[in-house]
Amino acid sequence: MYRTIDRRVLGLLGPGLLFIAASPLLASPPEHKDSRFIVKNRPVVVLQNIVDGRIEVKSWKNHEILVTSTAASDKVDIDIEQVGDRIDISASAMVASSQPHDIEANFQLTVPEETELQLRTQTGLIYVEQVNGDMKLQSVAGDVHLKEVSGYIIVKTAGGSLVCNMCGGKLEFTSISGSAQVLAPALTSVNLMTTTGNILYDGDFVRTGLYTMNSGRGLVEVRFSGSNSFDLNAHTNLGNVDNQAAAFLKPDTHSSRHSTQKFAHSLFGTVGQGLAKVELSSYSGTIRILKRN
Amino acid sequence: MQCKELEEVLEQDGFSPLPLAAREHLASCSACQGLVADLTTIVASARQIPAELDPPDRIWISLQSQLRAEGIIIDQPAVVAEQRAPWWQNISALFRPRVLVSAGVAAALTLAVYFQTHKPTEVPVAATVVAPAPKAEVPAAERANQVTPASAPAPLQQASAATHTSAHDSATSLRPSPSELAGTTLMNVEQDVPSMQLAGNSAVDTSLRQNLRTLNEFIAECQQRLKQNPQDEVAREYLYSAYQQKAELLSAMMESGRSEH
Repeated sequence: MYRTIDRRVLGLLGPGLLFIAASPLLASPPEHKDSRFIVKNRPVVVLQNIVDGRIEVKSWKNHEILVTSTAASDKVDIDIEQVGDRIDISASAMVASSQPHDIEANFQLTVPEETELQLRTQTGLIYVEQVNGDMKLQSVAGDVHLKEVSGYIIVKTAGGSLVCNMCGGKLEFTSISGSAQVLAPALTSVNLMTTTGNILYDGDFVRTGLYTMNSGRGLVEVRFSGSNSFDLNAHTNLGNVDNQAAAFLKPDTHSSRHSTQKFAHSLFGTVGQGLAKVELSSYSGTIRILKRN
Repeated sequence: MQCKELEEVLEQDGFSPLPLAAREHLASCSACQGLVADLTTIVASARQIPAELDPPDRIWISLQSQLRAEGIIIDQPAVVAEQRAPWWQNISALFRPRVLVSAGVAAALTLAVYFQTHKPTEVPVAATVVAPAPKAEVPAAERANQVTPASAPAPLQQASAATHTSAHDSATSLRPSPSELAGTTLMNVEQDVPSMQLAGNSAVDTSLRQNLRTLNEFIAECQQRLKQNPQDEVAREYLYSAYQQKAELLSAMMESGRSEH
């Protein structure tokens, strides 16, 4: 008898399971849409992605903004509006859903090289390449990757990390657990602050530039080149300062403070003429100073 | 009476007994019946919203005096305050606790920033030659009511060393420390978070909660350090900075919860 029931149950369950498995595919295909906007001067793009999704911004020579949006389902409402040279884009959920990727909107923007950006998303990556203009980029858990951008750049995340490659201008990064990597920069002002993330600055310090890097618990690592010129002030409350560039650090020429020993709580020193100012601090993390080969 | 006129009556008098003309119109107009039904539902639902925690009065006093000192708010004549509020403001007042919680976060944030930049110093008064002057005149009675450290710099200007020392000691014994103040406010706000559905998205919710835990752990670490070594100014700075981040995170979490519902 049990075998009979099993067969009947299986006979019913089989197609049912197949239908359930296939239903997401049948539900609604991703909605893909292109929108073009002619702009005159330096445009401003404001994108509020209240749902998940990736935002990718690249530039071209045209005085035109191309917005390509892809919504994963019809549960996402995408609204795009042009007001003069400002483009407002928003994506919001029409229903609550706990299904991953169900409420997701991805955006690809192609903008003039001189464009200001205000982008916000939840978990997706924000990627910006070759755009010159002030930008404010916010994310909860998504990472932010910047390549060859310049302007006054503000990045704010809760857990997302920042990778800034060949960036210019001014950079401000604030995060709770996100890390920051600044590679080959041409930045005149840097302010990086994270509570538990790590910070890596690998590149030159521009003369007269101000550089502040602060991590509560994470590692703060700076790799400079021998041709740089900066005053260094590194301090950690409970961690260590790992000075692997003692041979290149002279006593601080602009202050009476001097300490260049390895693994101390603080370090003051000068490289070159000390034209830029570099301040590294940590509560309980390690601060490491290296000279690039 | 027309529909628009009935709306005006509702705006002016709310649900207090309607005039005869309004009642007659309501009896015959299905659209207005629907409007009244909707409003009744909204008011009833609003009353069922559980009361949330109000920040302590001292926060409002401090915040108000600070904003007044900076000229951001200006005292209005009493007549204005006595103007009759329209009924929709009465309804919105029902949501006030939630607004207060958000404002509480803002207050804590303001205080945390303030204390970070105006840390109370232990230097002898005689050595304090220049003290920050208030940006606007604050009535003496109000100054007396200001028990938070936000008002602390003002008495430093003219008081003699002895008088100031005793007054300062007295005020210090009455007021909570900046750390306690910010911490208590944030803890009150945080009590709402566990039951809150945030962004309706598991990944975002997980990240927000994880970062809140991270901050709490870091705050606990700094507090522990300060208990052991109250003179550790670096730990204090990190603590205030963590409070500031926590206030912003809680504000974002509440905003997520609100936008979802």
